[in-house]
Amino acid sequence: MPRAESTTSRRTESPAAAPPAAGGTSRRAFLWSTALAGGGLLLRCALPAKAATMTGAAAVAPPAGELPLTPWVRITAANVVTIVVSQAEIGQGISTTLPAILADELGADWEAVQLETAPFAPAYRNPQRNWMFTGNSESVQAFYDLMRQMGAAAREMLVEAAAARWGVAPASCHAAGSAIVHDASGRRLTFGEVAAEAAKLPVPASPRLKADAELKLIGKPLPRVDVPAKVDGSARFGIDLALPGMLAGAVRTAPDLLGKLRRVEPSSVSGMPGVRAVVPLERGVAVVADTWWQARTALAKLQVEFEAAPDARLSSAQIRDDHRRILEAGPWVTPVATGEVEQRMRAAAGAGRVVTADYENPFMAHATMEPMNCTVSVTPGGCEVWAPTQGQELAVLTLAGVLGLRNDQVQVNRSPYVGGAFGRRLLPDFIVQCALVSKAVGRPVKMIWDREEDIRRDWFRPATAVRLTCGLDAAGLPTALAARVVSPTILLPVFPALAPMLREKGFDPSALEGMLETIYELPHRRVDFHLWETPIPTSVMRTTGYGPNLFALESFVDELAHAAGTDPLAYRRRLLGKNPRARRVLDRAAQLAGWGTPLPPGRGRGLAVAEAFGTLVAQVIEVAVSAPEVRVLRVTSAVDCGRVLDPGIAASNIEGGVIFGLAYCKSEITFDHGAVVQSNFDGYELPYLAEAPELVTELMPSGEKLGGIGETSPVTVSPALANAIFAACGRRLRAMPLGRHGLRLGVARPPKGKGYA
Amino acid sequence: MPSFKVNGKVHDVDADPGTPLLWILREQLGLTGTKFGCGIARCGACTVHVDGEPVRSCSFPLAAAAGREVTTIEGLSPDRSHPLQRAWIAEQVPQCGYCQSGMLMTAAALLRARPRPTDEEIDFAMTNLCRCGTYARVRRAIRRASGQPAQGAGA
Repeated sequence: MPRAESTTSRRTESPAAAPPAAGGTSRRAFLWSTALAGGGLLLRCALPAKAATMTGAAAVAPPAGELPLTPWVRITAANVVTIVVSQAEIGQGISTTLPAILADELGADWEAVQLETAPFAPAYRNPQRNWMFTGNSESVQAFYDLMRQMGAAAREMLVEAAAARWGVAPASCHAAGSAIVHDASGRRLTFGEVAAEAAKLPVPASPRLKADAELKLIGKPLPRVDVPAKVDGSARFGIDLALPGMLAGAVRTAPDLLGKLRRVEPSSVSGMPGVRAVVPLERGVAVVADTWWQARTALAKLQVEFEAAPDARLSSAQIRDDHRRILEAGPWVTPVATGEVEQRMRAAAGAGRVVTADYENPFMAHATMEPMNCTVSVTPGGCEVWAPTQGQELAVLTLAGVLGLRNDQVQVNRSPYVGGAFGRRLLPDFIVQCALVSKAVGRPVKMIWDREEDIRRDWFRPATAVRLTCGLDAAGLPTALAARVVSPTILLPVFPALAPMLREKGFDPSALEGMLETIYELPHRRVDFHLWETPIPTSVMRTTGYGPNLFALESFVDELAHAAGTDPLAYRRRLLGKNPRARRVLDRAAQLAGWGTPLPPGRGRGLAVAEAFGTLVAQVIEVAVSAPEVRVLRVTSAVDCGRVLDPGIAASNIEGGVIFGLAYCKSEITFDHGAVVQSNFDGYELPYLAEAPELVTELMPSGEKLGGIGETSPVTVSPALANAIFAACGRRLRAMPLGRHGLRLGVARPPKGKGYA
Repeated sequence: MPSFKVNGKVHDVDADPGTPLLWILREQLGLTGTKFGCGIARCGACTVHVDGEPVRSCSFPLAAAAGREVTTIEGLSPDRSHPLQRAWIAEQVPQCGYCQSGMLMTAAALLRARPRPTDEEIDFAMTNLCRCGTYARVRRAIRRASGQPAQGAGA
């Protein structure tokens, strides 16, 4: 997403916090825990938590008898400290890091803290965008200051209340271990003992923040709060919700992307066990039954006809032809034009020193392990949702529009755990569909997409085409760079406020990430963009524009280095003279990977370096190529995200991101006659453990501004892998995945035999 | 209707015998730790043990479970004390966590058959998909749980 663009800060009518409905709030918080059937509570008694515990979903209004200090912190008389987690726990570890920041400032006993996942409410919006969502690797960047302030504010309120009770100066007291201590006398009051008085005090606007030396949690590798529940099956995902009186829905949509429902014969399944209703939808049909398997079974038997909308033009071959034609002919908008690109290109052309290369990125499906699902109860005056979602605010606004309700009549509750997201769950399409089905049957419905629906009805990472052209000097260094990028919008579906900018300027800043700015010293630069119109739904996916664009740029720089007869590391260093942070991660990754040391035949190392999401990342990939097999032996990553708030969690994001990046090299989504070809993990294959390389990860904080972590490491994988394959066998891959070149991933351990270590 | 044991308890369920075991566990017995991922026995998120053998329950009919003993993630240990669960916590394996029940059940079956598995045996057995990419930690945790150093000896 763009930074500091005035057009991007979402201004909407603030949905007022819903008035506390009688019993409604505790019911909401209760739901996720009832599904535990007592197990969760028992476990907590049997095994004292060693870290904070996620206990359920927060309500818009606090439970009776509990006064919140702020929307972020509640403390009971029994000294139970509850912190609200605004951001969705989608695997990135945010449900540990954000509340730990707050708890550290507060002086809370972290091991006893309880956590609740936030409902939609204005207080939980990303303060930099005034919009509630989880994504763009920016949760920590956006919320860090706020968490510090909210923790400090609550601490000062509690200290002031205790000091008043004792008749001493607040400055003579401190907070630690969920208690306030009077330093001189050693007197102690728990947070809970003064919480009621503290809650009546005004929230300090600029509380004192702790000095770094006073911090006990920030910067430490904390045990993730979500891990225990994820090793015994007790973690509650959206798909696990059980609502009293709910029915289950299964859906099938038209095989063709643009196909519509023509006719459905409900009587064909009316006698089947458990079946309650057949609900026609615009592009498909839902069967509602007592259990999901009954619904799914009936769906398979249902007599249904779709209007075929076969569109021969909607095929992967046609899309590639379109992209190639557009790369030649445009038209273009030109968001970047600095220096003297034309003159320098002409001069280089005169000397026969212009190089150009075209790169292609494939369509990809998010394929979260937890398929799209949600539970919705539509009643005459309202709509309540329980969903694994990253995009509660967009869901509220969209549902209100579709159902003709006011925003405050729509409540979107987020599941405590979300089984993968990668941008997919920013979109409300699956929630709206379920709401329409619930409305039709007048009952709460849990809709689960089977994997086929989940893949075929994804909002895909789009195929893009990138042409890079460079003028070179006599030493083979670039004198000017021109880029052409062909991409549909990726940001608009998740960020409707982009619409005016897209209309007026004709470019999507997310689709140009990694091209609008560059880490290299290239003052003479031009970037052209073509907003490719396609009926295929496209949206953001982990790495957004950075991944596709930097696959092209980092491959191209490698090509330039080889053309100049220069080592790719040395070549990049020369272009990074003014970027010490990039040089530092690059040098370190190279050193850790043994860059330059000899390798047996068939092996090669490739590198790539990037700035993405405010973080510098350099990667070296070592491969052994024996066609058709590409064994990815080791991936070394050096990462500077400014400041590391939790080195364990940051490292796990980098590690996992490498595998996510490999998926971009392993599979693709293709289209044929208007339909998605792949529909499950047999056709859309993700990396397996056996293909997962040894990972070397080093975090190199520089003390600079906080950067993102979650999406950074996949950015450099595709180019570093392509560059490694070139180094190993001389084949240049200008398109992914490997299958387009007759290659595939092999077992990620060194091949046995002569010459190999 | 077939009767079978789940985590030591006998169940008689009223369902079509062709219903996949996964949906019996999730929808009839409330054991939601076992996850639905693909429905075609490809991803392994639904892995449980039937008489100690790893089975992809999305493609295993209820009828085939008759008279047999099923163990789910909820029954792996009463208190997260299985060596793999402890190793999973020590190595901080899970990210989103959705695949991890199946991953743990597959690993538990592996360790029963091969108490000190080699890297090749881990590769061969652990075919569960993890979209978050926790594989390196999965491998480390299996090695830890089987009393081996975190890093393998290589090839």
